[in-house]
Amino acid sequence: MAKATMTTIRAGDGDGGSVPSAARAAKVVKVFGSGPTEVQALKEVSIGFDAGAFSAIMGPSGSGKSTLLHCLCGLEPLDGGAVFIGDTELGKLTERQRTLLRRDRIGFVFQTFNLIPVLTAKENITLPMLMAGTKVDEGWFDTVVETLELTDRLHHRPTELSGGQQQRVAVARSLITKPDIVFADEPTGNLDSHSGGEVLGFLRRAVDNFDQSVVMVTHDPHAAAQADRIVFLDDGRIVDEMFTPTVEAVLDRMKQFGGE
Amino acid sequence: MWRLGLRQLAAKKFRLLSTTMAVLLGVAFLAGSLVLVDTIGKTFDDLFAEIGQGVDAHVRSAESIESDFGDVRGTIDEALIDEIAAVDGVLAYHGHTEGFAQLIDKDGDAMGDLGPGPPTLGFAWTEIEDLNPMRLFGDESRAPGPGEVVIDRSSADTAGFEIGDLVTILLQNGPEEFVISGIATFGDEDSALGATMALFDTATAQRVLGEPGRLDSIDVVAVDGVSQEELRDRLAEVMPPAAEVLTGDQLIKENQDAVAESLGFFTTFMVVFAVVALFVGAFIIYNTFSIIVAQRAKEMALLRALGATSRQILASVQVEALVVGLIASLLGIVAGVGVAVGLKALLAGLQIDIPAGGVVFTSRTVVVSLIVGVGVTTLSAVTPALRAARTPPMAALREATVDQSGRSIIRTVIGTLITGAGVAAILAGLFRDVDNAVSFVGAGAVLVFLGVAALGPIIAGPVSALLGMPLRTFRGFPGMLASENAQRNPKRTSATASALMIGVGLVGFITIFAASATASIKKSIDDTFIGDIIVESGSIGFGGLSPDLATDLNDLPEVQAASGVRVGIAEVNFWPETVVGFDTATIEQVVDIAVTSGSLDDLGPNQIAVDQDKATEEGWAVGDTISARFADTGPQTLEIVAIFNEDADLADRYVMGYPGFEQHFSDVFDSRIYVITDPTVGPDEARVAVENAASGFPNADVQDLTEFKEARAAEINQILGLIYALLGLSIIIAVIGIANTLALSIVERTHELGLLRAVGLTRRQLRSAVRWESVIIALLGAVLGLAVGIFFGWAVVKALADDGFSRLVIPPVQLIVVALIAAIVGVLAAIGPARRAANLDILRAIGAE
Repeated sequence: MAKATMTTIRAGDGDGGSVPSAARAAKVVKVFGSGPTEVQALKEVSIGFDAGAFSAIMGPSGSGKSTLLHCLCGLEPLDGGAVFIGDTELGKLTERQRTLLRRDRIGFVFQTFNLIPVLTAKENITLPMLMAGTKVDEGWFDTVVETLELTDRLHHRPTELSGGQQQRVAVARSLITKPDIVFADEPTGNLDSHSGGEVLGFLRRAVDNFDQSVVMVTHDPHAAAQADRIVFLDDGRIVDEMFTPTVEAVLDRMKQFGGE
Repeated sequence: MWRLGLRQLAAKKFRLLSTTMAVLLGVAFLAGSLVLVDTIGKTFDDLFAEIGQGVDAHVRSAESIESDFGDVRGTIDEALIDEIAAVDGVLAYHGHTEGFAQLIDKDGDAMGDLGPGPPTLGFAWTEIEDLNPMRLFGDESRAPGPGEVVIDRSSADTAGFEIGDLVTILLQNGPEEFVISGIATFGDEDSALGATMALFDTATAQRVLGEPGRLDSIDVVAVDGVSQEELRDRLAEVMPPAAEVLTGDQLIKENQDAVAESLGFFTTFMVVFAVVALFVGAFIIYNTFSIIVAQRAKEMALLRALGATSRQILASVQVEALVVGLIASLLGIVAGVGVAVGLKALLAGLQIDIPAGGVVFTSRTVVVSLIVGVGVTTLSAVTPALRAARTPPMAALREATVDQSGRSIIRTVIGTLITGAGVAAILAGLFRDVDNAVSFVGAGAVLVFLGVAALGPIIAGPVSALLGMPLRTFRGFPGMLASENAQRNPKRTSATASALMIGVGLVGFITIFAASATASIKKSIDDTFIGDIIVESGSIGFGGLSPDLATDLNDLPEVQAASGVRVGIAEVNFWPETVVGFDTATIEQVVDIAVTSGSLDDLGPNQIAVDQDKATEEGWAVGDTISARFADTGPQTLEIVAIFNEDADLADRYVMGYPGFEQHFSDVFDSRIYVITDPTVGPDEARVAVENAASGFPNADVQDLTEFKEARAAEINQILGLIYALLGLSIIIAVIGIANTLALSIVERTHELGLLRAVGLTRRQLRSAVRWESVIIALLGAVLGLAVGIFFGWAVVKALADDGFSRLVIPPVQLIVVALIAAIVGVLAAIGPARRAANLDILRAIGAE
């Protein structure tokens, strides 16, 4: 287990480095409400997420971590700044183009209700292709299904799968298009520790074996510890960064947020 | 619990908007029909009161025959006037003659329509203002003298007649020319509800409208101080038994009652359609409240867990239903006035013109509409309310699951039983001799619809899958989604579809009925009609073609035989009947009368021929005598000289010859003329010859066999169109129902839809999926409806096989069109819900913080 390294990030520090970023936020501002009830969820956040890395975003509730995720995948419109998936600036796309980008270049794993109840596991996995009307790469499909150990569950409907199996189907779906990046919002939040660990393992394997980029929002230190890099958010700003984290290091850092 | 119910209602106002609309439309139609009927009733009441206002006593023949087409009454002796003049208390009197008088306009076309519309009347003018409802209009108008006529202002305006013009008028004895001496209004109106009027002096009127020496009635004005009753009694003393005397008020009331009776039928007709609309509405309310209850299951269970009784839960749902029903009914009553206006326009399109007048809005309309509207709403919500009340408190702690059920033994059994009972009732009503057959059939129809609706979920799944198959191929993922979603809750899919099933079922039934009727009529005409040309007047018993035309046609070298057909109403065997008059010299050359015994040649003035079915029913044979009563000649005994078996109903049940008609009926017109042309002459040449001969008779319409059949078909299609329009309301309500259910389902599926959008489903794809789901539901409704409609059509046509429905036609093209319309209904219903779905806020939908 590598020792955790910590660096403190000054707010406003942008991307950099030679590794291309799968997703990037540049001075992103997000405000909710107006007048006296105005809440600044994100205050000029700039951050890049490397391709081929497993990144986590952590922070106390209200820190803006989910909002940042939503902005990065184009689901939340910005009040300032820009977000990029690869070289594509999302703000310059039409609604339809953003939708298609989500379909073809982004993978999603949500906390719960990831699957369409009327579709089988196989159909849920190949959902992006079904929507696009394109053929699935059979070889890749088999690889993903084997990796996620779903081979004998393919023709079941979500109601016939356990929570852990459902999340694995969701992960498989998120990988099937070989997206630029996979966004996972509290993927283990509804699972017991065993299933949760399994899902995290699969995400890890996706990054290691298939060079996938994964950005995960979580409040679970065990989950975050699986990542290569953790970005800490507080009150709408990036306040810290941790590389090759350990569970203990994460717990320590989180204590510093006080009272969460 | 009242508060809870009302709060719920307030919170989800929009959700119940559609339900309110459904009930509103049904109530509006009901209220509108009642308003229309009341308005028509009052219009006629006022009309008769106006005509009769100056009449204190009315003397007329005691001999009358009441038929469905109106009363036919005999005439009285003109000499009675002398008796009347001598009675003490008589101030003034007028001998009234009325008859057929059809105006010919400046283009040579006959004005007015001899069919079932306002009549073309001729009267004698009277100077006695109290007894003359017509008022001269303008300074130059004068009462008519010999060779002159006064016409109604409406006809004058339409044809552009002015005082001093010559006008040709078709009369019993043939066309005659008169000088227009004046134009008159009917009270303040330009015409009496569209009837055309020609007024002559008394001598002319007697000559051209009736018989010399006979009058239709005598109106009498009393001296001041003598009451109507007194006058009547004094007159009755000196009148012979052949004449009867009424007071003026009695006459007015009699006329008003006659109209009220006709209106009664009309009311029933309209109310049936309102009931259908409300029946559809009931399905929608049931469906909506079922969904609402399901969506609030957790909340209700919580209340139960906290101590609310079942009855309180029941009450809260019922309160919601009650308030919805109340609001919808009140709004519906208001809308009903608008509907009444619309219905008036619809009827005007069928040439049933009702003058603009105040709209009559009675308390009966309000009370009935309220009771029906609130009743339907609360009753339909009972079952869902009971279901809510029975929610076990533990349900609050369990996850709500998608209801995949739909197959249950109980449902299958109950559904089959109800359907079976309905079928039995219909078959009993149609094929067995039961009292109140119509009620049996009506109740049976309701049961069949309910039963099929109950069985719906069983086939909803497989049918949706079947309908979905082409969608997957042609519409890709949205099609697949639509198909899957339609199948996921068979109960709800079926309940939604059932609303459309009713409308489609009735439309299908009517379509089959009309197609069968048309085919049967055409076939029977082909079978029995030997001739090749028919000259029509459109008359159904009042007025028609001058008998001279038939004579002229027979003289043509191109014509082999022309046979004029007459129609009269008489009481035969104690029942009012339409008696057909044939020219026995020629009729068998043009119509296959299929005489089975006796001979038509024996039809003298007191002889009659009877249809085979009727003769068998009564056990009559040639040589028997039957009693009859004629308006003009009183009770008679007629000898049966022939029995016939003619199929096309061209001869009805009783036939007399020309001698009989000349003896017993005062008006002598040919209703139509059947012609067979010389086979050696080309058909076009022959037709031209006939048309030339008919050109002197402006109300003659020359048709060949094809045109004649088409005209019969067109009559049926006109009624069909009206019924389609009236059923259209039910279809509109069904659209609302489908849209409503779809919208509620989308609310339920918000999370899933948000997920799909997040993962990359475009708005267009989502709209498409919603739309196709709607189409599948609608087509399911169409499938169920057509199955029911075909059964109804088959049953009714089979039952009427002996009454002329020789052909059962199930027209595939029309029924496919009906199915297509159902699909369009699905598309329309989806417009709102699809847009709402596509515009979902993705993040809110997936419940992200």
